[in-house]
Amino acid sequence: MSNRRRLKRDSRASREERRKREHREKRKLFRSMQQKLIIFFAFVVAALVGLGFRVAYLSHAKGTEYSKQVLMQQRYDSRTLPYKRGEILDANGTKLAYSEKVYNLILDANEITESRKEDALTETMSALSKCFQVDTIELTQYIKENPNSQYYVVKKRIPYEEVDPFLSAKEENASICGVWFEEEYKRQYPNNTLASSVIGFTGTDNNGTYGLEEFYNSTLNGSNGREYGYLSEESTLERTTIPAQDGNTLVTSLDANLQAIVEKYMLEFAAEHRGEYREGEDGVKNMGVIMMNPKTGEIMAMADYPSFDLNDPKNLSTFLSEEEISAMDDKATYDYLNRLWRNYCISDTYEPGSVAKSLTVAAGLDSGKLKGNETYFCGGKMNVSGHEIKCHNHAGHGMVDLSGALEKSCNVALMQIGEQEGKDTLMQYLYNFNIGLKTNVDLSGEARTNTLVYNPENMVASDLAISTFGQGYNVTMIQMISAFCSVINGGKYYEPHVVTQIRDSMGTTIKKIEPRVLKQTISATTSDTMREYLTNVCITGTGVTAVPAGYEIGGKTGTAEKQPRGTGNYVMSFMGFAPADDPQVVIYCVIDEPNVADQPHSTFAQEVVKKILTEALPYLHIYRTRELTEEETEELSSLNLLENPGEPEGEEGQESDAEAESQDGESEGQEGEGDPEGEKKPGSDFAIDPETGYPIDPDTGELLNPNSYSPVDPTSSDLDGLEGVKNDPSQTTDQQGYEPSTNNNDSNSSGVGAGSSIGGDSVDIQYNPDSLRGGNSESSDFGAGAGF
Amino acid sequence: MAQRRKRREKRVVHFFDYTLLLLVLFLLLFGLVVLYSVSSYEANIKFGDGAYYLKKQIIATALGLVGMIFATVIDYHVWNKLALWVYIFSLATVCLIPTSLGREYNGARRWLEIGGVSVQPAEIVKLGVIIFVAALITGIGRGIKNRKAFGVIVGVAAVPTLMIFLITRNMSSAIIIFGIAAVMLFMADPKYLRYIGLVLLVIVIAVFAVLIIQKKAESRQGEGTGDFRQSRVLAWMNPEAYASDDSFQTLQGLYAIGSGGLFGKGLGESIQKMQLPEAQNDMVFSIICEELGVFGGLCLIALFGLLLQRCLIVASNAPDTFGALLVVGVMGHLALQVILNIAVVTNTIPNTGVTLPFISYGGTSVIFLLAEIGLVLNVSLRTRVTERV
Repeated sequence: MSNRRRLKRDSRASREERRKREHREKRKLFRSMQQKLIIFFAFVVAALVGLGFRVAYLSHAKGTEYSKQVLMQQRYDSRTLPYKRGEILDANGTKLAYSEKVYNLILDANEITESRKEDALTETMSALSKCFQVDTIELTQYIKENPNSQYYVVKKRIPYEEVDPFLSAKEENASICGVWFEEEYKRQYPNNTLASSVIGFTGTDNNGTYGLEEFYNSTLNGSNGREYGYLSEESTLERTTIPAQDGNTLVTSLDANLQAIVEKYMLEFAAEHRGEYREGEDGVKNMGVIMMNPKTGEIMAMADYPSFDLNDPKNLSTFLSEEEISAMDDKATYDYLNRLWRNYCISDTYEPGSVAKSLTVAAGLDSGKLKGNETYFCGGKMNVSGHEIKCHNHAGHGMVDLSGALEKSCNVALMQIGEQEGKDTLMQYLYNFNIGLKTNVDLSGEARTNTLVYNPENMVASDLAISTFGQGYNVTMIQMISAFCSVINGGKYYEPHVVTQIRDSMGTTIKKIEPRVLKQTISATTSDTMREYLTNVCITGTGVTAVPAGYEIGGKTGTAEKQPRGTGNYVMSFMGFAPADDPQVVIYCVIDEPNVADQPHSTFAQEVVKKILTEALPYLHIYRTRELTEEETEELSSLNLLENPGEPEGEEGQESDAEAESQDGESEGQEGEGDPEGEKKPGSDFAIDPETGYPIDPDTGELLNPNSYSPVDPTSSDLDGLEGVKNDPSQTTDQQGYEPSTNNNDSNSSGVGAGSSIGGDSVDIQYNPDSLRGGNSESSDFGAGAGF
Repeated sequence: MAQRRKRREKRVVHFFDYTLLLLVLFLLLFGLVVLYSVSSYEANIKFGDGAYYLKKQIIATALGLVGMIFATVIDYHVWNKLALWVYIFSLATVCLIPTSLGREYNGARRWLEIGGVSVQPAEIVKLGVIIFVAALITGIGRGIKNRKAFGVIVGVAAVPTLMIFLITRNMSSAIIIFGIAAVMLFMADPKYLRYIGLVLLVIVIAVFAVLIIQKKAESRQGEGTGDFRQSRVLAWMNPEAYASDDSFQTLQGLYAIGSGGLFGKGLGESIQKMQLPEAQNDMVFSIICEELGVFGGLCLIALFGLLLQRCLIVASNAPDTFGALLVVGVMGHLALQVILNIAVVTNTIPNTGVTLPFISYGGTSVIFLLAEIGLVLNVSLRTRVTERV
């Protein structure tokens, strides 16, 4: 027991001892650890102090240098943020022109060469060729030759759809580098050729050319934004972004649908006559159609022929063959493009012809020189101060009243009216109708005609005589339609315009362009009378061809022989309004030198107008007021324009009726629909000329117009009487200097100065009064643009 | 008996290092403010949200604080028993990196993504090594003096070091992991000579490596810089010559430090943060110097010094070897990261990606650092004041 106890005690003692020893050991270990801890901590503190000194040293020794470095490498450069050019909308909000964001692909060769990734070049190149189809061999060569280049434009104007896949490829593959994109806007014309001359186009520089784009250039353009860095007062870098101010949007009175209708039929006409008479030439030399709202002066449609693709305005391949294009030198190409781009409706001048008779008669009525009950005798010609001026109907119209003078478009009657009015009254009224003045339509390129009209002081009797029926002075289409609108709308002359609203980039209207009445040209009563007369023209007169089935319209035809006279070249026109009692729309169609053997028939223009109105009037919610004939019903059904084809039969064929009754022809041209006065109805028994398909007059053997049965031989022009009147084609219109004039030909007889052209390219005819006087002593006046 | 009772009475008085807690909380708060200042510019450009990095870091910090409380409350001796499992677990996370769970950022595959949360296993390994080495040394006890024990510890440290280096190609983390183990071994082993020898060896190898790289670069001359570690060494020696590429970050960091002046440009006024990509990571100290000046930088260094000093006190008063070694490990971890980070930023050593504890952006890092701080607080909590006296 004791032994055990001793043992126990021993073990306890030894255990105690062991524990003590362990404790000692532990203490020793602890002491050594504490020692080492202190040593370690000392090292740490030494290191920290050393680093502290290093920081202080860096700041002290290199502070100035590094501060400079920091400021130097800041980007103070500024980056331009492009603005978005405003849109051009039609009256219904259809986009005619808009700007789309595109991207320029920029290569930073330096970033690729400096890249740590070995496959940077190959990866980037393969991505580029995959996404943008660029020539990677060329690019690799470029990078090799210019390893430090940082800005190289690889491809311009890439749409976002192409950029997007590349960006996602770049996201996935870190090796792709050194490529970035610069933003830009590209002008888009979704309807390509629609209203091309009216809209105009805009190149890369946001500078509009022609049309609305040029006229409203500053309105459409905004201002570029800028992102830049600068040093503030505390020498800290600030980067500021001034956002781009987007351009304003134009809302126009154009109606894209109307415009399309108009252009469709113009194209149809031109195609129909392509190469018909003049081998290899287009169907017309020039052609223009304007539709205008007579109650506001808003232009609803305006088109000239040919139109061009606004998205690719320099592309001539649709007009010319490749050989022709390559044969043209720079100047020829330039000339051709200018002809193509310019707007015939406002930039070209021509003699208006018989359409102007409406102005002459309105002037007479309004001035009181005419009572309205006058009658005139037309014997087919009239002698004016020694010149025999013929009516287009050589047989004469017999007795005509005022309305008849317009209906038959009788030159002789008009010349007598002119004598009654006197030159001062007529010229005053023409001036009031803005003839010779700019209309200030909001389109770029409107021609100046102030030198192309008569000056009353210098006018002689023959000048007065021919100007009553629209020869001898020049107008533009826009002048003519604006003047005509005032004749039929109660005498209010509205400033023609295309833009009705200007909106800012947010869509808020910032300017509304209200209809602007410039003057009262004639009284409302005179206007009512004129409307009545002009309606008669389309019921019984020369304008029946233009009447669309089921409608009652008014209008006036025109055929003007071009200078030089006697070459058989004419400008055909028709000015119409519908409906006759309350005009909602005025349409003016001018065809310059159709490519036909026999030009002077205003029916060319009338047919185009008829087709346009047939489709356009229902679209404009102008409803038929007359019942349709069976023939018309069929015709409309074939055009799919009839709501219910089963409409009751209309009265007897209006057109054929009118044709038969109409006895006059057109003004100067001896087309016109009328037969000689009092003649029998045109018979179907006439022999048909096998070559032209025209009927042959059994009495005279002349070819007759199949519509009007009037002689078609241009050599027997009613302008025969003007043979003594010589032309000076060198007098050209001022076309805002688009093109230097090159035509100084043919001043044969009087030798009137031919070098006085004023920088226009118009080949429009000009009537030279000097030659009438038989002398050229005043030619210098004329040449200097002093006018008539 | 009486003595025992007396002891028991006195044991009630616990030592808790409030100074350490306060220091850590201050560093955390300061870190968040600086992080927002540094990262908001880049976050705005990249994510359209200036607080993008801040928000993520706040969430990580909150998680870390919860972890810290756990680590403080749970008796640290638990870890002595679980040490091997913690170690194996941490190594397992590294092994997951090459699998489909691994994630690559900025061309380096160092992250795991589990349930939408990315974790950096290297940070877990650091804690694992601290706990396992501490437990191992405690278990070996006196035998630590033996060469065999030395070899075992080095081997235990070498496994995760090599794994991190080979799997994640992350040399800086590897160095830190090995460094932590080395520091702990140095503390536990009463001997000096072998450690002095070891340090000298490392220095000699480093110098030779630098010389060889320099020689190689001279003979190559302009044919590219080859391996990025070599080029980093070259860039370190002559930052201006490699300004466009390899030493871009370092040089921009130096510019930041140099341009800050004595009191800096003011909080949030840094220009260089727009130049330095990912300034909120490794280069955050340079931006602090730019915004708060040399003064701010030195204050931060001093704060870290104080933090380490608290660790020193807790370690030297630890109730047992395991506790002391844990604290030593944490201390070594903190010291190595702070010193390496600031040394890199000031271009004192070649560039290697070491983050600044509590300040740099990084969720895993802050969570595990706070857990480690929790361990230190735990050890301090179990320190009996009487024994101290």
